[in-house]
Amino acid sequence: MFFLLGSASILLALIIRFYRLAGQWTESGQIIFQNILMVFFLQFLIVILALFYGTSIVSEEVEGKTLPYLSSRPLSRASIIIGKYLSSLAVTSIMLVSTLLISYFILNLDRDFQLQDIWTIVRYALVLLLGLAAYLSFFTFLSTWLARPILLGLAFGFGWENIIQYFPGTTQKLSIVHYLKSLLPQYSSASGRLSFLFIRLEPTADWLAVLILVLITAVFLALAALLFTFKEYLIQD
Amino acid sequence: MTAVIEARNLSRWYGNVLGISDLNLEINQGITALLGPNGAGKSTFMKIITGQLKTNIGEARIFGEKVWNNRHIFRRLGFCPEDDAFYEELSGFEFLAGLLSLYGFSSAEGEQRARQALELVELTDVADRKVRSYSRGMRQRIKIAQAIAHDPEVLILDEPLNGLDPLSKRRIIKLIKEFKNSGKTIVVSSHILPEVEALTSEIILIHQGKIIARGDIYFIRDLIDTHPHMIRVKSPQFRQLAQTLAAEDYVLKMAFEPLEQAVVFETHDRDRFFNRLNEMVLTLPVIIDEITSPDDNLQAVFDYLVGK
Amino acid sequence: MSSIREKGYHHWDGQFLDRPRAFWPITRTGIKLAFGRKHFKLGYTFSFLPAMIYAAIIYISERLEDFKFIAQGGDKLLQVNPNFFKSYLTLDLLYFAILILMSMGGAGLLADDFRHKAVQLYFARPLTKADYLLGKAGVVIFFVGTLTLVPAVLLYILKLLFAGSFAFFLEYPWLILSILAFSLFMILFFTAFILLASSLSNNRNYVISIIFGFYFFSEILRGIFSVIFRSPFSALFSMAANLKQVAAGFFLVKPPYDYPWYLSFLLISVFCFLSYLVVKHKVRGVEVIK
Repeated sequence: MFFLLGSASILLALIIRFYRLAGQWTESGQIIFQNILMVFFLQFLIVILALFYGTSIVSEEVEGKTLPYLSSRPLSRASIIIGKYLSSLAVTSIMLVSTLLISYFILNLDRDFQLQDIWTIVRYALVLLLGLAAYLSFFTFLSTWLARPILLGLAFGFGWENIIQYFPGTTQKLSIVHYLKSLLPQYSSASGRLSFLFIRLEPTADWLAVLILVLITAVFLALAALLFTFKEYLIQD
Repeated sequence: MTAVIEARNLSRWYGNVLGISDLNLEINQGITALLGPNGAGKSTFMKIITGQLKTNIGEARIFGEKVWNNRHIFRRLGFCPEDDAFYEELSGFEFLAGLLSLYGFSSAEGEQRARQALELVELTDVADRKVRSYSRGMRQRIKIAQAIAHDPEVLILDEPLNGLDPLSKRRIIKLIKEFKNSGKTIVVSSHILPEVEALTSEIILIHQGKIIARGDIYFIRDLIDTHPHMIRVKSPQFRQLAQTLAAEDYVLKMAFEPLEQAVVFETHDRDRFFNRLNEMVLTLPVIIDEITSPDDNLQAVFDYLVGK
Repeated sequence: MSSIREKGYHHWDGQFLDRPRAFWPITRTGIKLAFGRKHFKLGYTFSFLPAMIYAAIIYISERLEDFKFIAQGGDKLLQVNPNFFKSYLTLDLLYFAILILMSMGGAGLLADDFRHKAVQLYFARPLTKADYLLGKAGVVIFFVGTLTLVPAVLLYILKLLFAGSFAFFLEYPWLILSILAFSLFMILFFTAFILLASSLSNNRNYVISIIFGFYFFSEILRGIFSVIFRSPFSALFSMAANLKQVAAGFFLVKPPYDYPWYLSFLLISVFCFLSYLVVKHKVRGVEVIK
């Protein structure tokens, strides 16, 4: 299903492309990609991918009663979590990057690609990957902590993250999406028709945003590994 | 020589429910069976000695090393959990090879070991089929295969014969005996006495989280024989039977079930009782419809031993 | 050796007794299990918060003189008319509450049965597929009904009681029918949606992801399409917008999007019908191993 969801961005890109070919849309593919498809990737796809894969990391093994197969091997318990995290990150990254690239190229087929364009798409991909890693790490932590993490994950991913980003001042810095938006130029300099999507963003400096996202990833992953090492999981009959 | 598995004052409870209580145990090479009714604490004990659960009090050691959070021990230990749970979408071969990769074997060695294990449990011909399509017996065998594929010295098998047909049971019993012959230490749990008898004579009886008897099967049987047995005989001449047997000193009690035309005897010498009953059938004009032992099950044995 | 006394396979040639309420034990158990879930009762109670606020508004609207200090300039907000009832039944918060509750108590309705291979146990009893589906649907109907139909009807009664006359009834004699019809339509939609999601996987977490994924995805699609096409028809992609559009039709008020409300009605009806077909196909008494 998630591949299907990822492909929705490709479908969207195709629809926009045909619409543009029909002369109904005059803005460049680059602008459309940045302002429209990135909303889909940033505020929906990476959150839902991370939510599903992250919250499943431990609960799937516990509910499926397959945890003893892993925890009776000569691996530290932390490495089980980190291994599962990395494999989930790999799978979701492939989904994300492939659909991102395809939809980008569909929208910009008529463009003479410059080095600058390559950098733009690499930058978008990196920002989304950073976001994916951070969300996945947070949801992995929830998975090690709670027996049923998905509802809290939903509340965080689609509730807290959506609401808090529109708050002024320091409050909005309590969300992951704030740092992701800070790294994307269109959010810091939005104007016109799409500005309602970006209101009140008070961006954090690039280097600091990257640092904080890496820190969020590392801290929650470490917490998840630590919790999994010392917590026991009862397999219910 | 120190024991392979040692448990010192093990206690574990789940909220208000007691799992095991102050359990002291040493297990050596060979097959040892943990026998007890459902909920006796067998699985809790097995989960503790395989590092799946923590203890509230006490400590479990294998080869002198603590088990909880000690990953190194798992190179020498194989665990077959009780639950019928798998990564259903994997084939039997992928399941084994995937788990073997966690031991750091090269992929070639992992695959070779997986094939060997599949051969041992006689699943080579279905190795490429998804586990979800396996029968109950196959699933049980693939579960054992994952526990033996890395050639451990200690095998912990939680209810390996549960729910199997006689043919599958025989296969698994044969397999377990082969491990024993290669010098391994095996702990098997079961709640069925005849199953355990077919496997080993070294038995630990566990009930309500405590060890209530330990020894070879004959010792346990003797222990059981010191307690009275109940035998229910259904016959149209049940009063005549009762009258004759009342004179025997090994008959301790009798209770009539007139509606059922049956009488329940309590005796502390089953062999003499049955010899006498056989004689009566041959010499007297009595017809016996049915002989049953209302308490000839494990729960009754435990009830006797714990003095209920 | 004794001979075989009977051989052959015998079909049962009796008749099912007519048991019109065969679905009820399934519904009752589903409701009980939902209430047994952690935090469900709390969530369920909180879901009545909007209804209580609306009840307070009705009270205030009847005593505007006493509440002048609150109502300053807000008279329009305090008007109790068809739009008032429509706005309760189309609150985003209410939809969100329904989805949260149904994620807790409805996601596993079919998924758990698939996971534990329990469907065949149901069909080993004198139950038809319709009984089984109705039983499961009953759980969603109960919860969605108690959050939509029941409070909306109570609010209506409350309005009549507080007003102390039948003026309101006479002014909008059709309103109670609108409340009933739209609530039932919503119940039908959510039942189809939740059962469809639950039938698509045997993993409860996956089902929850589908429920919310669909909800948010449909909203994002609407947003993106409305920017691209600048057309009101973009609302056809959104679950919530479609319901709001249909509500406008039922309550005879101006639709929020500039297209005929029956298009949304048709779309949701087709969705419900297709969901029914999928669910019916997915529920099988015999497990097929591929």
